[in-house]
Amino acid sequence: MYRYDEFDHAFVAGRVEQFRDQVERRLSGELAEDAFKPLRLMNGVYLQLHAYMLRIAIPYGTLSARQMRMLAHIGRKYDRGYGHFTTRQNIQFNWPKLSEIPDALADLASVEMHALQTSGNCIRNVTADHFAGAAADEVADPRPYAEILRQWSSVHPEFSFLPRKFKIAVTGAERDRAAIQVHDIGLHLKKNDAGAIGFAVYVGGGQGRTPMVAKKIRDFLPEQDLLSYTTAIMRVYNLHGRRDNKYKARIKILVHETGAEELSRQVEAEFAELKNTELKLPEADIAAISAYFAPPELAARAEGWANLAEWKKADPAFAAWVRQNVQPHKHPDYGMVTISLKPIGGIPGDATSEQMEAVADIAEDYALDEIRVSHEQNLILPHVALADLEAVYRGLVAAGLATANAGLITDIIACPGLDYCALANARSIPVAQEISTRFGAPERQAEIGELKIKISGCINACGHHHVGHIGLLGVEKKGAELYQITLGGSGDENTSIGEIIGRGFEPEKVTDAIEVVVDTYLGLRLDPSETFLAAYRRVGPQPFKDALYGDKTAAAA
Amino acid sequence: MADKVLTANRLSDGISVWLDAAGNWNEQLQDAFVARHKEAVDALEATGKQAFADNKVVDVNVVDVEEVDGVLRPLRMRERIRAEGPSIAYAAGYAGLTATAQPVA
Amino acid sequence: MTKIWNEAGFVADDPWVIETEDTSAGSNEKAILGLDAFLARVAETDETGLGVLIEPADDVRRLDGHLDRLALVALAFPAFSDGRAFSHASLLRSRLGFTGEVRAVGDVLIDQVPLMLRCGIDSFAVTNPTALKRLAENRLPGIANHYQPTARPATEAGSYSWRRRQTPAA
Repeated sequence: MYRYDEFDHAFVAGRVEQFRDQVERRLSGELAEDAFKPLRLMNGVYLQLHAYMLRIAIPYGTLSARQMRMLAHIGRKYDRGYGHFTTRQNIQFNWPKLSEIPDALADLASVEMHALQTSGNCIRNVTADHFAGAAADEVADPRPYAEILRQWSSVHPEFSFLPRKFKIAVTGAERDRAAIQVHDIGLHLKKNDAGAIGFAVYVGGGQGRTPMVAKKIRDFLPEQDLLSYTTAIMRVYNLHGRRDNKYKARIKILVHETGAEELSRQVEAEFAELKNTELKLPEADIAAISAYFAPPELAARAEGWANLAEWKKADPAFAAWVRQNVQPHKHPDYGMVTISLKPIGGIPGDATSEQMEAVADIAEDYALDEIRVSHEQNLILPHVALADLEAVYRGLVAAGLATANAGLITDIIACPGLDYCALANARSIPVAQEISTRFGAPERQAEIGELKIKISGCINACGHHHVGHIGLLGVEKKGAELYQITLGGSGDENTSIGEIIGRGFEPEKVTDAIEVVVDTYLGLRLDPSETFLAAYRRVGPQPFKDALYGDKTAAAA
Repeated sequence: MADKVLTANRLSDGISVWLDAAGNWNEQLQDAFVARHKEAVDALEATGKQAFADNKVVDVNVVDVEEVDGVLRPLRMRERIRAEGPSIAYAAGYAGLTATAQPVA
Repeated sequence: MTKIWNEAGFVADDPWVIETEDTSAGSNEKAILGLDAFLARVAETDETGLGVLIEPADDVRRLDGHLDRLALVALAFPAFSDGRAFSHASLLRSRLGFTGEVRAVGDVLIDQVPLMLRCGIDSFAVTNPTALKRLAENRLPGIANHYQPTARPATEAGSYSWRRRQTPAA
């Protein structure tokens, strides 16, 4: 993974001092709140319901054991002993004191971490496939390009006061695990017929109040043009994005109102001017950054095959965990492990400082010191020898992190919601907990198969409910919480926005409604291999509407 | 007119606070001063504006409450959660609020 | 009270006045005209040394071909959160090649001054008390290491092609 050089260290140290100065001026009153707010947002500091919230950047979701231990330390020293991993591969702490945040940032800087641009109307964390560098189906590792974009976008003076936030995602396989089509810019790393590396470029995807699927504006952008092309898009957006209405300020609205063809023309015109400037990426620089992401030395560990078969026979719980949470790796003796942060009935995406340290220990001992955060709020160990899976599993069991539910119905994505967030209209976590408990039995989960439930507590859609197979949107109606159900959303390479299927459900009725949806699916699927999403796409919403709202049902309403 | 209290978040640590009868920013809603008529509400708003200008608090708001059996209850769920804390226990394995109640060394 | 600042310090006797419906330049003053008014003036006269105000929604490229008539381009920041003028400045310098004075007017705060300088803005109409104080002390809150080339040239960092370092003051 990327390692800071002197330049990076000096930058982050300068940034910490800059923010320390801003905080001092705020606390002394020299800097008023309305001038301070965009500055603190650009450093990931929110004001939430109960306290400030600090969102720390985990660039493209990659971190080392040492960095994970520092996050555990931050949780203990500056917070209440736990953190929350987010749908943009970052981590949030819910109780930091403003006066202590500069010290926390200094601690983070010592392990090459920061909270820069995790909020505010600027370019945010560039996210990437959480299986990058390990997945069997990968064409090329997207992370070097995510790192180049991360550097280039850091305190970019032209693009620090955009109409609104700006999110970029990069994927390097045909299967899109980074949800690029619901990002402001989505980049699909690929090779052309000549074997050259470049990107398909998508613009104007997003969720929130008006979910939209991105439009492809370039089939193939050569890699050396990455920064000049991105500059062109950003400049067009900065100049022409709407600033009159906060809810119409994202680039997706600009694409929609201008038309993808015209917008593409404007981008290409600006790009033509920038193409051969100093923004062109030299091959040597791409190679140098890529070298940080060279595949690790993976020793042959063929004994793992036989070991694995034995352990699975001896321990059905272990076998279930392997079946559900371990994915094929490029190297046949290895697997990619998903550490579920979704214990049955637990808070999706949360981990205690002790759990973070357990993950760090396991990563160091068995996973070549590499950890990922997925946008589905789980942790990943991308390189684990099959021969070490049993030891990893025991370590995870001891830390309460061995729930065998990756991708299953209890692997719920939920935003913090009204329990924490000042923007929320309804709670998400208790809904997730109840659904998880209702469907917690392993046999039930196995019977249902792959089913992604995503819950947002408000229209901002931080829970990504629009791309949930089942999406839940919490709203406030007459002072009470109400949950709208959407069905058939997906954030993969066949992105679709979920369809609203009818009136919402009160908190006490939501779980029953989900049960009706699930039972309807089980009743109409062709066979167990037809997933919920596939079945929905085959039959459409009507059977589910009938089941939930028709006269025949006893449940719901 | 509903009864009202003045609430905000402390600037230095962001903790939710309510203005009490002594004019202090108090972490307990139940100690909040309740304004029951317009003049009192106007005074609350003025106090809030001043406290914001004095850089003691941020995000100052007057919120509706009702008194039920001597207990103050905000009318909006959002404000009830602000007063009572998250409606869920923290992450599994979390040792409880009292475990981190002391300032960490 | 508004003062004009550039990297040499505060400017005494700045002659420029932004012309509005209520304000016109006096006899010892020079007018900063709105874009349409400037283009009309350029078409109708031979005057040089003019000043123009670019609002956020203006297309700064309309100045192309008339730069030789301009001494000053003022860029409006009606609210500091409106970042369009950063792009105006960048285009003015790097695309149009303007070498005259580029001035930020409006909501100019100390924390944005380093960013404005990097985009090619070289003078500032400052009203905010903290900004005035910090500029008087020459204490700008910027970071010397830059991760991107900008309209204002900076020193190569001897590293990746996109990195720069703030050029030390002469």
